[in-house]
Amino acid sequence: MKKTVWIGKIPLYLFMLVLSVCALLPFYMMIVMGTHYSEDLYTGVKLFFGKYFVENFHAVMRQNFLLYYANSLIVACCNTIGGLLVSALAGYAFAKYDFRGKKPLFAMIVATLAIPQQLGLVGFVMEMRWIGMNNTLFPLIVSGMANAFGVFWMRQFIESSVPDEIIESGRVDGCREFGIFFRLIMPIIRPALITIFLLFFLWSWNNYMTPLVMISDQKYYTIPLSIALISSEYRTDYAARILALSMGTIPILILFSFGSKYLIRGLVAGSVKG
Amino acid sequence: MTKKSAPYAMILPYFLLYIAFGLFPILFSLGVSFTSWDGIGEMTFVGLKNYVRVFTQDKYFYKSLWNTLILLGISTPIQITLGLLTATFLKDFFKKTQNGLQLINFLPYITTPVAVGIIFQLMFDWKSGVVNAFLNLFGAESVYWLGHAWTARAVVIFMLIWKNYGYKMIMFLSGLSTIPDELYEAAKIDGASWWARFTKITIPLLKPIFVFVIITSVINGFKLFDEPQLLFNSAGQPTGGPDRSVMTVVMKFYDSSFKNFEFGYGSALAYCLFLVIAAASLVLFRVVNGKKKED
Repeated sequence: MKKTVWIGKIPLYLFMLVLSVCALLPFYMMIVMGTHYSEDLYTGVKLFFGKYFVENFHAVMRQNFLLYYANSLIVACCNTIGGLLVSALAGYAFAKYDFRGKKPLFAMIVATLAIPQQLGLVGFVMEMRWIGMNNTLFPLIVSGMANAFGVFWMRQFIESSVPDEIIESGRVDGCREFGIFFRLIMPIIRPALITIFLLFFLWSWNNYMTPLVMISDQKYYTIPLSIALISSEYRTDYAARILALSMGTIPILILFSFGSKYLIRGLVAGSVKG
Repeated sequence: MTKKSAPYAMILPYFLLYIAFGLFPILFSLGVSFTSWDGIGEMTFVGLKNYVRVFTQDKYFYKSLWNTLILLGISTPIQITLGLLTATFLKDFFKKTQNGLQLINFLPYITTPVAVGIIFQLMFDWKSGVVNAFLNLFGAESVYWLGHAWTARAVVIFMLIWKNYGYKMIMFLSGLSTIPDELYEAAKIDGASWWARFTKITIPLLKPIFVFVIITSVINGFKLFDEPQLLFNSAGQPTGGPDRSVMTVVMKFYDSSFKNFEFGYGSALAYCLFLVIAAASLVLFRVVNGKKKED
């Protein structure tokens, strides 16, 4: 009896195996190709590690890669932390307070979910030029900081997982309204904060289009833009570029390895009422 | 701060940021879309001329819209099916290894699009790509993937599925965990098969997640830019792939605005895209709600 159950599951295991291999293969290829001599990548399939890692690493470092790394980190951290605070505060207000204009204001936020970011891109570029902030990291930090998805999700989460009694008891104890939020609410909504942190960080780190149209001064390039600069002695060094990309994936990989189980937990609680 | 004024103070940062860096640029772009302007010189008012040009003279607008619809229309249903299946399988049969498998299947979604572009370029390379090597292994001939219109589209569709099914899986996993276990237990006692439980309990109860996933996929699908752009980014490759077969509306917008510096025309294109997205969202809502009434 047990045996037939096991055999019946073979197609299932095969399905998961094939899918997982497909998911991993390009990722694996990325790491492998970063260790080969660039021109060799076009002479045949490379399935195993090569011997050119050190040279590629030097080619990457010659291009000030650490500067672009730092730029990416600054942008992603500021954008994520700012966006997280803004969304959590607004989400909390919409979930737990009654105030005039609450419904239309929230409906407005939800409606902006359907607006593509590109709609205002030309205006955003010009705005930044006028205030002299184009070619700085500032536009990359503030763009998307007011994130409708974040507010929407935070409201759902807080509404379903924060009991009103906690807020009342905080008031009785003489906490101020903002004190209640920072001291009592923030710890309770940690799963949602982690989830939104992971997603915001990912989106900011991988953002390609905003820096592409905003930044022309190489000093302020982020990793996705800097890749095109990597070349050695008048030739395009694809292997070095790929190595740089592998290196650029490390922070995201670390964050998600630790956070992936929180990701679902945070999403779950937010979707209960969704 | 009193209880009355506190909520306003809490939503203030959001609205200040949104008005300054979201709403203002959008309204300004709307104004620009009625002008002819390169961002530096004189701005001349041209009325609806840009919009007339989008709809009547620019054959590449329709082509890019058509391309976007093909890429979106084929890849989205597959992404959703794969995401749903993996999520259910993980929950029902892979309890012990769920965390690891979850991360593996989510890995494509977190990989930088720039990396995805370069890796897929090399994997689908005509001469040295791993895909053709695999085909040759079975005696099939090498395919010039990135050189023909429809094979280039197939590669982009494959990229999109590969990149996004893990995100769908996460969404469905979060939805699945809100379905009470007692329902499944009761069905099991009644002798319902796995398939019956899947079609009679899982799918109907996941409806809210389906609505969310379908609508966000369509909205995001219309914004498609990174993947096809980066696949054909290197020197010697035509913009938008062979015969512009993977040129999307946003790529067209990017070309007009930031390569040709036609800010007015580019803004008009962005507004046309917005109209398409708004119409598609409305139709989708109708379809979804119509289905609800039948139930």
